[in-house]
Amino acid sequence: MSRMKFLCDIERCIDCGGCVIACKEGNHIPVGVNRRQVLTINQGKPGEKSFSTACMHCSDAPCIAVCPVDALYQREDGIVLVSKKTCIGCGYCFMACPFGAPQFPTGEVFGARGAMDKCTFCAGGPEENHSAEEQKLYGQNRIAEGKVPLCAAMCATKALLAGDGNTVASIYRDRQFKRGSGVNAWGQDKAYQG
Amino acid sequence: MTNSLNDIRHAKSMIFIGSNATEAHPVSLQHILHAKEVNNAPIIVVDPRFTKLAAKSDEFVRIRPGSDCAFIMGLINEVIINGWEDKQFIKTRVSGYPEMKEVAAHYTPEVVEDITGIPAAQTRKVAKMLAMNRPTSLTWCMGGTQHHIGSSITRAFCILQLVLGNMGKSGGGTNIFRGHDNVQGATDMCVLSHSLPAYYGLSDGAWQHWCRVWDVDYDYIVSRFKDKEWMNANGFTLARWYEGVLQNDEITQYTPIKALFQWGIGLNSNSQFAKVKEAMDKLDLLVVVDPFPTATAAACESDNIYLLPSASQYETSGSVTSTSRQIQWRYKIVDPIGGCKDDYTIMQELVNRLGFADEFYKNIKEVPEDITREINKGALTIGYNGQSPERIKKHMENWHTFDIETLQAVGGPCDGEYYGMPWPCWTDEHPGTPILYDISKSVAEGGLPFRNRFGDVATYVMSGREEIQLAEKGVCNPGSEVEGGYPEFKDVVPGTNWKTDLSQETIKEAIGRGMAPFGNARARCVVWSFPDQIPIHREPLHSPRPDLIEKYPTYEDKPNHYRVFTKYKSEQNPELVKSFPYVLTTGRMVEHMGGGAETRSNKYLSELQPEMYAEINPRLGNNLGIRDGEMVWIESPEGGKIKVKAFFTERVDDKTIFMPFHFGGMLAGKSLAGNYPEGHAPYVVGESANVCTNYGYDIITQIQATKDGLCNVSRA
Repeated sequence: MSRMKFLCDIERCIDCGGCVIACKEGNHIPVGVNRRQVLTINQGKPGEKSFSTACMHCSDAPCIAVCPVDALYQREDGIVLVSKKTCIGCGYCFMACPFGAPQFPTGEVFGARGAMDKCTFCAGGPEENHSAEEQKLYGQNRIAEGKVPLCAAMCATKALLAGDGNTVASIYRDRQFKRGSGVNAWGQDKAYQG
Repeated sequence: MTNSLNDIRHAKSMIFIGSNATEAHPVSLQHILHAKEVNNAPIIVVDPRFTKLAAKSDEFVRIRPGSDCAFIMGLINEVIINGWEDKQFIKTRVSGYPEMKEVAAHYTPEVVEDITGIPAAQTRKVAKMLAMNRPTSLTWCMGGTQHHIGSSITRAFCILQLVLGNMGKSGGGTNIFRGHDNVQGATDMCVLSHSLPAYYGLSDGAWQHWCRVWDVDYDYIVSRFKDKEWMNANGFTLARWYEGVLQNDEITQYTPIKALFQWGIGLNSNSQFAKVKEAMDKLDLLVVVDPFPTATAAACESDNIYLLPSASQYETSGSVTSTSRQIQWRYKIVDPIGGCKDDYTIMQELVNRLGFADEFYKNIKEVPEDITREINKGALTIGYNGQSPERIKKHMENWHTFDIETLQAVGGPCDGEYYGMPWPCWTDEHPGTPILYDISKSVAEGGLPFRNRFGDVATYVMSGREEIQLAEKGVCNPGSEVEGGYPEFKDVVPGTNWKTDLSQETIKEAIGRGMAPFGNARARCVVWSFPDQIPIHREPLHSPRPDLIEKYPTYEDKPNHYRVFTKYKSEQNPELVKSFPYVLTTGRMVEHMGGGAETRSNKYLSELQPEMYAEINPRLGNNLGIRDGEMVWIESPEGGKIKVKAFFTERVDDKTIFMPFHFGGMLAGKSLAGNYPEGHAPYVVGESANVCTNYGYDIITQIQATKDGLCNVSRA
């Protein structure tokens, strides 16, 4: 069985936000909830890098380990999902997650803890596939249609890869191999100054 | 673009100057990064800002706004001094080279450093990178054009590519990225005041040609004008129309402008926006046709305004032209919603009421197919004749049969054709021209020489030298009957030429003989009709360098420049920098588009970029006693004043302020959100950067100089 993975190729990410907008538009996410975001380091300086991040669908997911009501679960293909009907909105998963993936509805000064929302890998939720209930609670279920998540499908430079981990790794390995010489090679700027 | 977005995949190096493609054309990066990864092609970015594109570059060159011409002439000089010029290409396909070389010799790396701020060593390094990594794809956008010497700057870019021999080659070319899907198409249809569609100009011959195409009596068209002389006179431009209302600068027209139709444009992308607003308030009639009420609609405060809600691109269909000169068919997804009408319907209802529907729709029965067919019939100058609606649709349906590298169909119903039949597509059988001026292929297979447009012989005033303008013997496309240069085709059908022969026999005859209808000539380094026949640097009208104004002054004032007196010399004041010490430049952000009416009405895009700001270098901010995130006033020499948030970033240097121009709906610190029709205010309003962009217009095109003005900054 293949395992689903995201990989953001940092050399390709241009901080356009297309993935974020695709996710929000396609899944009707409320403003303020970010299933996916693009982060930038060294903004405006040499060495500026951007990358798109969301739930990493960890193999040994800390959110599942800490959830007191077992609202979180992992599918056979590795996608980590939440049952919003079971979730009590305690926020333990938010504290456990190394990536800040769990999101909660925004509200007044202290926020309004409702059921947790996060990236579903566009695989919906525990409700019946393509049911109105699934659509309402979780958004699209593209995996059931044999499609990659919206964010990766939208990515203009194909920086954001999603799908079977082996395929993703193979695409990335191929790219890295081609980059391994000339101006793209590590240390090129030091070896051949000017 | 002489080449295509896809063809950039074949570049061995890329130089971007005045282009922030990552934000303005993000999808193009797919091909740019491919060239970088697969060909090891270095990316050189020349810009006043360390842009998101610079973040992907191998060499970032920080340039002082408005000094592009000096830098490029410096590169040309450095290439020539080192013997890196393409001697064969220059000898056979370029004219005016020795004259140009003499002008370029002034721009040594040290002189370039003084003008541009680019270290001499870096100019030398970039010249070497270009020479050692050919072909180079050169891209510029509005950072290259929006200057009072924009026409010289863009010519310098072209000359650099000629000197390096990068024209007419896969992976090379001058690749000016155009905007969203029909900006190139709108340009080709000449939605401009100085030309009829397809660059025919405004001469009697041009009018007569189009009258034949429209099947309308020429005298009838003459009768629509007050006097015949106005048919041949350039009109007002988008940049300066407001003077036609306000007349602060003298106008050359029998009447002020009384009405304005604003169809699919946010005028907050117009410089001098405070004056634009004043003009809008003074008009008898202002009509805004747009899917959203624009910022201009909100800024206009008199009761002269009508909003006509138009359909979006998903609610209508028709042919559109991409930046790569490809023509595609846009299919309708849904019928217009929310009481709006598509553009064709709005146009038709206007035409009906104005009473010339018979003439207007003579050839147009089936909309929009017949509109494309009329373009096919008349737009011969740029070869829009082979892209019939049927062929365009066939390409769309067989999209998957085209190769991503070459854009050529491999087998299938479009076998051998190039996707979208990039113009010129000379006949119904022609495959389209994927790369302009490429003499490696026959004309029938999509090759082309340089066009013979400016006579067969020229004598240069600066040298007295006479030169034949046709290409050298032996230089032609394979299969050409004439082995070498030849003039344009005419009198195949007596009294017509290849541009005016509606039977298209002339074009077919040329192709049949293996030749280009427009001749085979040399590309010019000298343009004898321009004030600067060879590009030279001239200081921006509002320059931060009084010492350079003396050395590189602007032009004399120009009366009747598109019907309005336009100041140059009288506007260039060396003292101005004392009161307005910082350079002001503007640009785009990826989340918003143009005037922002559409994108600021999208809640998610507004969430990502919710606020107008000014980029200020932390060093400058701290010196001025401003804190990051505080409100500041930005003031222009013309009295424009806006209140925006300070955003500290090293993207800009400590002499330059950058602002995005997509915001609107606020004026001088006051929100105009209440002026929108109820329920139609965008999610985000903000001050318009163009309230502060300075006076200044290109000497040829009159494009606004928004990239190199001056401003002052103070705590709000």
